[in-house]
Amino acid sequence: MNWSHVKLIFHREVRDQLRDRRTMFTICVLPILLYPLMGMVMLQVAQFHREQHVSLGVFGYENWPASRPLIADSDETQIHWKKLTVTKEIRETLGQLRILENNKGSETESKAPKNFIVDAKLAEKLLKEVQADAIIWIPKGYDGTFTSTQLVVLSNQRWERSQLAVRLLAERLDSWHQAAVRDRLASTTLGVSVLDPPQIKQVDVSVPESKRALIWTKILPFVMLVWALTGAFYPAIDLCAGEKERGTLETLLCSPARRKEIVWGKLLTVMCFSVCTALLNLFSMHFTTAIVMTQFSNMGATEMVHSLGPLPIQSMGWLLLLVIPISAMFSALALAVASLARSTKEGQYYLMPLLLVGMPLVMLPMIPGVTLSPGTSVIPVTGAVLMSRAMMDGEYTQALLHLPTVATITVLCCLLSVRWAVRQFESESVMFRDSERSSVTQWIRNVWRLRDETPSVNESFFCGLIILICLFFGRLSLGGMTLEWASIVKSTVVIQIGVILGPALIMAAILTRSITKSLRLSRPSAMDMAVTIGLAFCLHPTYVAIATAVSNEYKLGEQTTAMLTQFDDIIGSTSIWYVLLVLALLPAICEELVFRGFLFAGLMRNGGHVRAILVTAVLFGLSHGVLQQSITASIMGLVLGWLAYKTGGVACTIAFHVVHNSISMLLAASSHNKQPIPQFLSWALEIDDGRLCYSAAWSTLSVGVAISLVAWTATRNMKDRRTNVQKSWGRVAKEAKQAIAR
Amino acid sequence: MELVQVQNLCKSYPDAELGEFKALDNISFVARAGEVFGLLGPNGAGKTTALRILATILQPSSGTAKVFNFDVTTQADYVRHSIGFVSNNTAIYDRMSAWEMVEYFGRLYALHSDHLYPRMEKIFRKLQMDEFRNCPGAKMSTGMKQKVSIARALIHDPPVLIFDEASLGLDVMVARALQAIVLDLRDQGKCIIYSTHIMREVERLCDRVAIVYKGKILDTGTLPDLANRHNQNDFEELFFELLMQEDVDLRMQRSPVSLPIAGVSPALRPSPFGSNR
Repeated sequence: MNWSHVKLIFHREVRDQLRDRRTMFTICVLPILLYPLMGMVMLQVAQFHREQHVSLGVFGYENWPASRPLIADSDETQIHWKKLTVTKEIRETLGQLRILENNKGSETESKAPKNFIVDAKLAEKLLKEVQADAIIWIPKGYDGTFTSTQLVVLSNQRWERSQLAVRLLAERLDSWHQAAVRDRLASTTLGVSVLDPPQIKQVDVSVPESKRALIWTKILPFVMLVWALTGAFYPAIDLCAGEKERGTLETLLCSPARRKEIVWGKLLTVMCFSVCTALLNLFSMHFTTAIVMTQFSNMGATEMVHSLGPLPIQSMGWLLLLVIPISAMFSALALAVASLARSTKEGQYYLMPLLLVGMPLVMLPMIPGVTLSPGTSVIPVTGAVLMSRAMMDGEYTQALLHLPTVATITVLCCLLSVRWAVRQFESESVMFRDSERSSVTQWIRNVWRLRDETPSVNESFFCGLIILICLFFGRLSLGGMTLEWASIVKSTVVIQIGVILGPALIMAAILTRSITKSLRLSRPSAMDMAVTIGLAFCLHPTYVAIATAVSNEYKLGEQTTAMLTQFDDIIGSTSIWYVLLVLALLPAICEELVFRGFLFAGLMRNGGHVRAILVTAVLFGLSHGVLQQSITASIMGLVLGWLAYKTGGVACTIAFHVVHNSISMLLAASSHNKQPIPQFLSWALEIDDGRLCYSAAWSTLSVGVAISLVAWTATRNMKDRRTNVQKSWGRVAKEAKQAIAR
Repeated sequence: MELVQVQNLCKSYPDAELGEFKALDNISFVARAGEVFGLLGPNGAGKTTALRILATILQPSSGTAKVFNFDVTTQADYVRHSIGFVSNNTAIYDRMSAWEMVEYFGRLYALHSDHLYPRMEKIFRKLQMDEFRNCPGAKMSTGMKQKVSIARALIHDPPVLIFDEASLGLDVMVARALQAIVLDLRDQGKCIIYSTHIMREVERLCDRVAIVYKGKILDTGTLPDLANRHNQNDFEELFFELLMQEDVDLRMQRSPVSLPIAGVSPALRPSPFGSNR
């Protein structure tokens, strides 16, 4: 790569963007103005903010016990009491109010009934008439015991003031009741002290700066990442879609700068603006907060200032470290997506979904309880945010422990995003896309007429999506079933055949010319089959170890654990042949035909075997309902995908899947039935905590054997391929010689 | 000296209606140094596709194309240094001045300042661009933009120049000036491939011409050669007849019983041109 080209393109693009007033306003001016304006508004609002008072109407206050009044004369609380007397007009309204006793007439001042009906419209009218936010009605004969009589409170929960009035009234009644109970206890031998809770002396050892950092560490990464994403948007659209629109991209493409160099030049520009936007926001927010908090401090809001003062300056350093890789990733993604668009308007439509996809990853760290762990560190963006937060909190050991994972994932994501962007620029169909015609009938006709032997990439993605959606609804509708063998059989058959295999078979029949090729049905060699089965046996201990590690990291919920235990019980108490048929053979056939068959065939197109392996593994993982299962299934999906690629069909992966599932079922059933380990397997199995598991010796040995088998398979296939290539070249050379001789 | 050699070049695109659309169907031609080779054809004939392949923007589906003896597929970097590409949409950056734009491309072609600036001065003087050298692209007229586009294509002094409907949207004065520039470049020994659908331009500029229609070259030669071969001195008539004959041939291939329309008066024939004519 010629870096002088990259530098030239970068300089030009930056200069170009700096001359664009709209971009400059969004990226530079807006952040500088936004926070001071927000701060100004906050200060203004704070000045006008007063404690909200509510008006509470009371009917029948004369019925309240006189010994302990509810309304004190020197009442300075938020409640403005309105002692209401039942005037003629109110009586008319009350008469119409129909607070009816079940058996008696509509005497409003009688003892309140247990059940009564309120006409909502009339109640609202009454509230407006007496100009109260809520009305309490104290019936005759009320003795303050809360036992025999019921206080009625009329409110309109649609009004915020009414909600507040009810809350304040409840608090007042509660404190009144507490005082009454105390008085009564005081007159008994028990004394008032029985009501006193244990005394707690709270000593907060945190320094104010670290307390402030705690709040900021949650807010700032979110704010900064949102702005990093926003900052990448506009330049990305202008640099790709804008250039296409102006026709300048074509000129650049026939210049000496290669596509990769153009992408890097543009990427650095987008990244530069993304970082600048994030940092400008950060600094603007910091200074505005500092000034606003000083003002609040002067106004006496010291508690707020202590908890939300300016961000400790050293924490900002860690945020700077975070923003660079995240901006790089967002910029590459924005650039790749923007390159699909033909105009800036279209670019804005495309980038919106990117924002929607990116948001959950940015918001995930804000959920209470989400901390840096091996599990969260592998999630893109989230891991990086959590690590920067750990750094800001001073948990350096914890952060350093997860640094390799977070750095690897972030760098990997960045590289993948850049690679995607470069591929978009190298694709003629993306760069010189014509406007598409949107004729549905034409499209349907062409789908049938132009169908190929195998599905297209888009058809594969579509099928995967359909299956995931069907699985979601299928599982929801089958969720209410009781866990027993019959229901397990029913749900497995419905899910596997109806939901997973069904859509793929239908699509293969409609959208392709060859179902055999679409499902990748081919006869495997005996050696491939033998090696695959051997690999399934050898990799099972590793799978169990991974599954255990995943379960330890992401704890199963109580309900799921109970369900799995019940599931094991059912398997243990059912004939093993049925279990193997329904839970090992059927899923293996259906899932392999779909994931390593139909989907794989489509995704393999245009040399996309890596894409096929990765995407089918992820889809295979997502098709499993439980998160922990999804992770392990995705890992196994990678192995199955690789085998599907190497063996050229699904027969071997079906065999692998059957063996794998069968071992799992046999181990579960044997553990449940507490069967002794057969003598010939004593070297491989042992009983630990009542469950059958692999011995340490076999666990270690199996890894070695598995690696050998994998290496051998890889080498053998490569050798075969090389031989084929050599053969074909040999044939070409021979034909050429014959031609020359003629 | 043959600077551009195109041999059996094909380019196909996936098409929703046809399954595969052949933008170029086995075209072959050569263009020599010191000549203007015209690609004449209606809109959608495949001229731009052919030129984009020569400019290494697109990859051919099959066949070979060589520029200055460098293959456009395998030696794209060398080809890019050997060509200057002027497209119909002028392709000017709105927020850059004429001077900055030409300088930027000069730098991309790795020209050293000692060589770059004198050459820029020379080109600006020659193309009469000094008046608007600091004018931003957004404020330039179409004529100014096209001049900048030509200056950008000439900055590295390439032996081959490709003009893709470069006169589109230009007024008569500017179009004349453009023609003068092209002829001047030809006289300097450059090989010029000039794509157009305007007959008068072909007659005025092109030493040899290839008539392109529906991705195929219907005929190639000098204008007198073509006139002799087809027994038609009016070039516009000749062009129409070739296109109509091709349409008839295609119809006959699809449905042998349909009647030929060669005898219909030119005025009543459907125009092969689009709205740009």
